[in-house]
Parts: sequence; structure tokens; C-alpha cells
Amino acid sequence: MRIPFKKGIMHLAESKADEDYLIGSRCRDCSAAAFPPRVVCHKCAGENVEEIPLSRRGELASFTVSWAAPEGFKPPVIMGFIDLPEGVRLLSLITGCEPDKDALPGGREMDLVFEGIRSDQEGNQVVAFMFRPAAAGGIS
Amino acid sequence: VRDVFVAGVGVHSFGKFLDKNLKELGRVAAKTALDDAGLSVKDVQAAYFGNAYGGLITGQESVRGQTVFLYAGISGIPVLNLENACASGSSAFREAWLGIAAGEYDVALALGAEKLYCNDTPRTMAAIATSSDTEVVSDTGWSFPVNYALNIRLYMEMYGATQADFARVVVKNTRNGALNPHAQFHKAMTLEEVLGAREVCYPLTLYMCSAIGDGAAAAVLCSREVAGKYARKPFVQVAGSALVSAAFMNEPVKPSIKLGAGYRASQQAYAQAGIGPEDLDVIEVHDAFSPAELQAYEEIGLCGEGEGIRLINDGITDISGRIPVNTSGGLASKGHPVGATGLAQIAEMVWQLRGEAGPRQVPGRNPNRGPVLALTHNGGGTIEGDAAAMCVHILKRI
Repeated sequence: MRIPFKKGIMHLAESKADEDYLIGSRCRDCSAAAFPPRVVCHKCAGENVEEIPLSRRGELASFTVSWAAPEGFKPPVIMGFIDLPEGVRLLSLITGCEPDKDALPGGREMDLVFEGIRSDQEGNQVVAFMFRPAAAGGIS
Repeated sequence: VRDVFVAGVGVHSFGKFLDKNLKELGRVAAKTALDDAGLSVKDVQAAYFGNAYGGLITGQESVRGQTVFLYAGISGIPVLNLENACASGSSAFREAWLGIAAGEYDVALALGAEKLYCNDTPRTMAAIATSSDTEVVSDTGWSFPVNYALNIRLYMEMYGATQADFARVVVKNTRNGALNPHAQFHKAMTLEEVLGAREVCYPLTLYMCSAIGDGAAAAVLCSREVAGKYARKPFVQVAGSALVSAAFMNEPVKPSIKLGAGYRASQQAYAQAGIGPEDLDVIEVHDAFSPAELQAYEEIGLCGEGEGIRLINDGITDISGRIPVNTSGGLASKGHPVGATGLAQIAEMVWQLRGEAGPRQVPGRNPNRGPVLALTHNGGGTIEGDAAAMCVHILKRI
């Protein structure tokens, strides 16, 4: 079975009718959204905050390819800022493109995917969130 | 609050010293600063220790300052341990300032020290990566170079900055660093060498990323009464001290320096000192990654947003320019012994204000008078798109 690489930030689809999404939060008072989800609003410090499913499609704001990799990764590591319509900018691994600094233009539509990054001792597939270029004509 | 003066400064040169531990690096800087002030270890009434990764590198997670100060002959007095990532040293300086300004002490020592070379580079890199919200970024591919590179690409897109503009920052800083005996590297890099170096993470090439380092720096702070008796002349006063933390959260907005910690901290420091950026004679800014120096120009108000590019290209921030920045060689030449960095900036500014910077000496805006006002800008760590800690100091020659 699939298990998330971190708790509390990913919803893994449990049936065919369900879908994978990232869990964010929104302040019911000032409507500021956040990822990862918060219990206290980062804008107004209010505690009237609820968890929300974040959009699966976003826009690429910035993009780079790192030839130095942090612990647990092998270069090249492709990363970007993804802007979501909820008003969240998140940093994400990018998949489905070449490790070329000019592979993707700013503003490119990107879709969320949960991809396996390793297997644990029980044989579960550990999945992490990434974004990949959206296929032309709709959500793939 | 009472007036506070910098009675003396000292550094242990930055470099790779596998045979020296944190205690020895710290002892040398503390002793040199006390000698410079004409004071002894017995005169110190409170001591503040800035260090970021000693716990993770050596295992000495707790009471690091006490172990270093005791080794240096300083014991029994109040000791505080300050950890604010790359801003740990300047945070220690600020606490020492507060203690004297509040009237609690007349002589206080601020020491920043770091030991990053340990023949285990992955261990050092993993330690540095903790200057973030590790719960959020661990296992996501995040690293400091990626973080900077993504932000800098936004800046490039908005203002048309090029990789060559960033390389010119390295050329300027390493030209200065070649004149600094305390720097880790003494080679002046050419534009071609910087641009042709290995790409770490576009637009960052190897030489745009500060190297790790071992080193220490210290300052002795004192009240007016003690300064009058002991301190070297001319006196250097702490005219402004500000510390802020991250407030901006990553949002899909055009990046503006006014959202950031560097802008907020410098505005506070200017207000406290009763001056503006146009009054400064010499500056040290935090160039952990060289493109960040251009953004620092904008954060501290040397120019408008996006105009930092023009300042570097026109030579405005050269030693011979209108407003010299990073005369020490910056982190490009010194390397970045994290906890020592902020206090080394302060040491360089004190030397400049006293006219003791040798071949790096700036003439000041009015050469008949020499430099009078200096600023240090020292950011530490990153949380949600902002500096986790940002410390700005303004020093004034009296």
C-alpha cells in the first residue's frame, strides 16, 4: 500500500472516486491560506482555522535544477515554486521534465502527483508530493 | 538607554583548521578583542556566545559558551548562549549591547565562533540545513542553494538581472578579500572564472556560494565611563541595533524587499541612530550567496528595488566607490564560519571607522573627516521565504 512520506500534509485517495491532494489550511476570519496546514493563522493570529484540500493544479513561478543534492537525494534535483489558486506558494520537487534550467517557462500549468520515493521495510511504497507539467487540454 | 561603545575587537582568522577546536578558535578571538580594548578577562562582567552548529558537529549541544569561556579564563559571570543561525554572532553583540545599555553591566564580551571543517562534509551540510523549518522542508529536496536560486530567478525575471551581474559581486568581494589577512581565500577571481565555474544550482555557480569555514570573532562592549578610561581612540559607539524575525510567508506575490526582514531591521536601526542610508560611509552585508548582496543593497535602502544591479555594475560599492560594501571580502573570500560571521562584520567596520583597515581602508564620504558611520547586515536561516533572524547594527565614530 501507499504511505505518505510525511504525516498531516497529504491526503491519499482511498477509492477510485477519491483523489490525491495536499492538505492546507484557511483562516475563516481573514481567509489567508497556508501549506503545510496551521492551527494559528499566520496573517491575523486567529485560531479560527480549518483544514482544506488544496488545488491539484498550480502555476510554476520559479524553477531551477540543483547539481548538489541534500541528504537522501541524488543530483540533479529539479525544484520549483508552485503558486496555487488558494494563495499559497509552495516549494516542490518537479517531475516529468528534463534537468535543464530552461526546461519549463514561468507561468507553466503544473499538476500535482504523488510519486513513490522508496519502499519501507514492510514493502509499502512511500510517496512524496511533486508537480509535473500539465498535459495540454486538461488535467491528466 | 545608556550609550554603549565598542572598546575592542578581535578575530581568529577564517580558514580550515582541523587541528583546532571551537574553544581554541574562540579563545584567540576573545583574547585579541580584550587586548585591543586594553582590558583583561577579569574585567568582563557578562559574556555572550554566538554559535550555530557546535552541537551537531561536536555533540556539545548544551552550555557551549560556558565551555569556551572557561577555557579562555572567563568564569563565574553570567553567560548566555545565542543560536540564531548565521546571525548568531550579531545577536550575541546585540545582547551585550542591551546589557550595558540597560545599566546592568559596564563591560561585556560578545564572541562568535564556529568549527565547520570536520572531515565529514555531509555532517556539516546536514547541520547547516537545520537553519530552516526542518519539519516542513526535510525530505522535500529543499536546500539553501535551491531556496536562494528560486528566489533569485524571480528577481532576474522582474529586473533583468543576469548571471554576470551576480558574478561581478564575487569579483568585487574577492578583490577586497585578497587584501584581508583574516580571509580564508586570497585569490581575486575574474568574471570568466566565476561564470565558468561548476553550476551548483542555476544561476548560482560554485563561487557564488560561500564556502564553509572555521573561525571566530569577538567584540568588547562598554559603558561611556569605561570607554573614557580604557577604550582605544577614536571611540566607536553603537548607534543602532535591531533584531527581527521572519514575518513574510510564501505567497504568490511579486517579491518586494519591503516584505523582508532586512528592510524591517534596517529601518528600525536607522530610526534609532537618527540617520539614513545616504549618511553611511561603509557597509558589510550578508553575502552567503553572492546575488543576495544586490538584494541587500535594496533592503537597506542604498537604492530602489531592482537598482542593486546598477550599483555593482557602476562600481559604486567598490572600496574606491561612493559607498563601499564588504571591504572585508565578504563571505565570498572569508568563507562562512556561521556563528563568527556577524561579529567579523562588526570587527571590519570598527577597523574601518578607526582608520586601521590598511589596504582596504575606505576614505569615507568626506575624506577630510574619514569614515564616520558604518552598517552591518547579518541574516540567519530561512523560514517561509524570509530570513529567520536578521540583525542590523549601525556603528558611529565619536
